[in-house]
Amino acid sequence: MNKLVTLADAVASIPSGSHVSLSGFAITRCNMAFAREVIRQEIKRLTISQCVGAMDVDLLVGAGAVERMIYGGGSLDRFGRLAWVNRGIEDGTLIAEEYSSLSIAFRYLAGSLGLPFIPIRSLAASDLMKRLQEQDASQIATITDPFTGDQWLALKPLLPNVSVVQVQVADEEGNAWILGPRWDNTEQVRASKRAIVIAEEIVSTEVIRREPERTVIPGLLVSHVVHLPFAAHPTSVYRAYDYDAEQIEAYVEAQNTRESFRAYLDRYVYGVKDHWEYLERVGGTKRLSALRADPILGY
Amino acid sequence: MNLEYTSSELMAVAGARELSDGQVVAVGLGLPIVATFLAKLTHAPNMTILFELGVIDPEPISTGVGLADPRVWHRAKVLSSFVDILGAVLHKGRVDVGFLGGLEADQYGNINTTLIGDPRGKFRHMIGSGGANDIASSARKTILIMRHEARKLKQAVSFITSPGYVGGGDSRMRAGLLGGPSRVITDKAIFGFDPTTKQMTLLSIHPSTTREDVLANMGFAPIVPERVPFTEPPTAEQLRLIREQIDPQRTYLG
Repeated sequence: MNKLVTLADAVASIPSGSHVSLSGFAITRCNMAFAREVIRQEIKRLTISQCVGAMDVDLLVGAGAVERMIYGGGSLDRFGRLAWVNRGIEDGTLIAEEYSSLSIAFRYLAGSLGLPFIPIRSLAASDLMKRLQEQDASQIATITDPFTGDQWLALKPLLPNVSVVQVQVADEEGNAWILGPRWDNTEQVRASKRAIVIAEEIVSTEVIRREPERTVIPGLLVSHVVHLPFAAHPTSVYRAYDYDAEQIEAYVEAQNTRESFRAYLDRYVYGVKDHWEYLERVGGTKRLSALRADPILGY
Repeated sequence: MNLEYTSSELMAVAGARELSDGQVVAVGLGLPIVATFLAKLTHAPNMTILFELGVIDPEPISTGVGLADPRVWHRAKVLSSFVDILGAVLHKGRVDVGFLGGLEADQYGNINTTLIGDPRGKFRHMIGSGGANDIASSARKTILIMRHEARKLKQAVSFITSPGYVGGGDSRMRAGLLGGPSRVITDKAIFGFDPTTKQMTLLSIHPSTTREDVLANMGFAPIVPERVPFTEPPTAEQLRLIREQIDPQRTYLG
């Protein structure tokens, strides 16, 4: 079945108030074009989950699209902080459930397997655990191992409404290849009710059938497929393009004040009608060609 | 080769010395990377290096801006996932050493990377855990590398992101956690932990400093044995590897 749609149509399938899990990790394979379109469509009150908070969620929080965040910490690597996420936590405007990388991955894993909970060693004796226990409808509890009598922490599964995954290669059914490390992406997709795949390259199903062992996302889990080159810009996609340091620095600079961020949104989000206009605004073919990954190095 | 060295170079060398051949080591970016690659290039060629997001045994030829930079995944033997690395290797109990950085640590090696200030009042939120809490909970031992300042080595940290020996004694074991901190390497000294009370214990002082300077810049009093040696300085070969091969642009060393 052909599930190819435009980015605008894929984004329009997500109602305000949804729980969306994103595929970004700090400054790589972030759902940037997706986030910009969510902001343009004025989708609000999202719950975002992600193992390691990334540039995609920071942009969404800065633009006021996010109500709750479930994550394991994060940054823009050496470029800077998740300033809007951090500020939202500091002034209480963002509800944050803060875990560790593995505890989020385990919650997706439990969700992907249809398990009611998953035990974990992480978080014990930390203030992360104390904070999570204090929250309303706490997702963390202590259980006794029925076989040994040992005490364990148990986590509830994470069950997003939709997972949005930036991949290198997919076919029109959504059978997708992720090149390089996958962090929590395969568990995210399987834990979610459905997935939107955003692919740098669309190939025929015949290409997928020739190397099916590379398929880490089966099409049966995918509701929409979007073909969108440079959709993660200014973050990187392994074996496709490098991160755009100048553009990430411009973003970090814009994080300084509400006004500078508003100007950033006006220039790169509201001021362009779609992803193609955005790509022209950041320098077009000349700039993007310079970011193309070396085929041996992958960056 | 200039045999004078910076405190960062000494910290990296001290970190490398704590690692043995054949170990499985989980690493974060920064000085832990330099220490780990230095050990691998010298006395520990059969060490296995892990990055949390799904990377085993990379051989970078360029330094990176973070774990999300494909430059640091270069020539890896495995590119997989959190569940594969932090789950099937770390949580399973197969990590010998976890190498962590910290904003604040207390006398029991509890680490804070979440916030600065008063968690119930005004605070500045920072990076949080990432894989640090997982590594601190399940590695056989952890090594912490951090700056030596009174406002960072505190009587009590503002927030325990990654537990060390919790409240001392056997409180860590009672919480069901494996291992525990083995070393804290700062730019002034190296510390271990008392086997019974689990309090931080001064092991060596870097050649550029004094016992008074070490103690005056801490927010708590560590155990200080009667005789404390100086930290062994880097060798010419270690300095050459760090400067020419591992971090020529001084991305991690600063």
